[in-house]
Amino acid sequence: MIIAGLVMAGALGAVLRYVVDRTVQRRSRSTFPLGILVVNLSGSLVLGVLAGSAAHHGVSAAWLTVAGTGLVGAYTTFSTFTFDTVHLLESREWAPSAVNMVVSLGAGLGAAALGLALGSLT
Amino acid sequence: MPQARNGDTPLQGEQLLRVSAIATGGALGTLARYGVDRALAGPALGFPWSTLVVNMAGSFLLGAAVTVMVERWSPTRFARPFVAIGFCGGFTTFSTMVVEAAQRGQHGRVGLATLYLAVSLVAGLLAAAAGIGLARGRLLPAGPEESFPDPDDVGMLGDRPPAAPSARPGHAGDHPVGDR
Repeated sequence: MIIAGLVMAGALGAVLRYVVDRTVQRRSRSTFPLGILVVNLSGSLVLGVLAGSAAHHGVSAAWLTVAGTGLVGAYTTFSTFTFDTVHLLESREWAPSAVNMVVSLGAGLGAAALGLALGSLT
Repeated sequence: MPQARNGDTPLQGEQLLRVSAIATGGALGTLARYGVDRALAGPALGFPWSTLVVNMAGSFLLGAAVTVMVERWSPTRFARPFVAIGFCGGFTTFSTMVVEAAQRGQHGRVGLATLYLAVSLVAGLLAAAAGIGLARGRLLPAGPEESFPDPDDVGMLGDRPPAAPSARPGHAGDHPVGDR
């Protein structure tokens, strides 16, 4: 059951990332990887809420695995973030690469913490 | 899967195939991450080794695979959506990493959380750079290479020049049809 849920959630999460990334990136007209940043920050907030409510309100482990590990885990991505950052560094785009690293990790951590707090409330 | 090959294919069919490749890769990547997570599960609020291992391995794989596919050779136009956007994107995870760090911080393990994020970032960048470097230096020696078909001969990649300066792996974004 969990495996079937993970397969569907992982497929859906990856496609969702593609759609959001594409939509954002098309409008930004820049080489800065804004689409993946939006994906990662929004996913971090959602996973924080899921984890926070699981910790405080006893969400079932199976549901948390499928929704959290499967859907949100596949929606967000680390490898594209590192790849893009390496390419920015390679192109000597120091400021954009630094912004990407600092904002991704800083705001990502903030989004996760906010999500955990929200999740424990609701 | 590889029935549509040319730009004059209706966008709908092309898009559907690409989305299918992404979905399949995403499902496999998610299962692989779940498997690693099960295998390497450590104590609660300990150092999150499994996420670190997954993210390092995925960064390396994405760097190597995209560099090979963009700069030299790609078997089909769906290889990149499948491997890069689907598998590597679904395998690695950003949200789990920051939630793990935030949870450890909230339980007073600020040092561990900081170390975890710093190691993830530095080692992740190094892993991606190593994958890119390996693909350029060893898998793809300069000049003609028998083991890699010349894209101009194979005719699968269209007319793209061999070295595209900015490869954007997870972003199929900017090109409606010809994303590679």
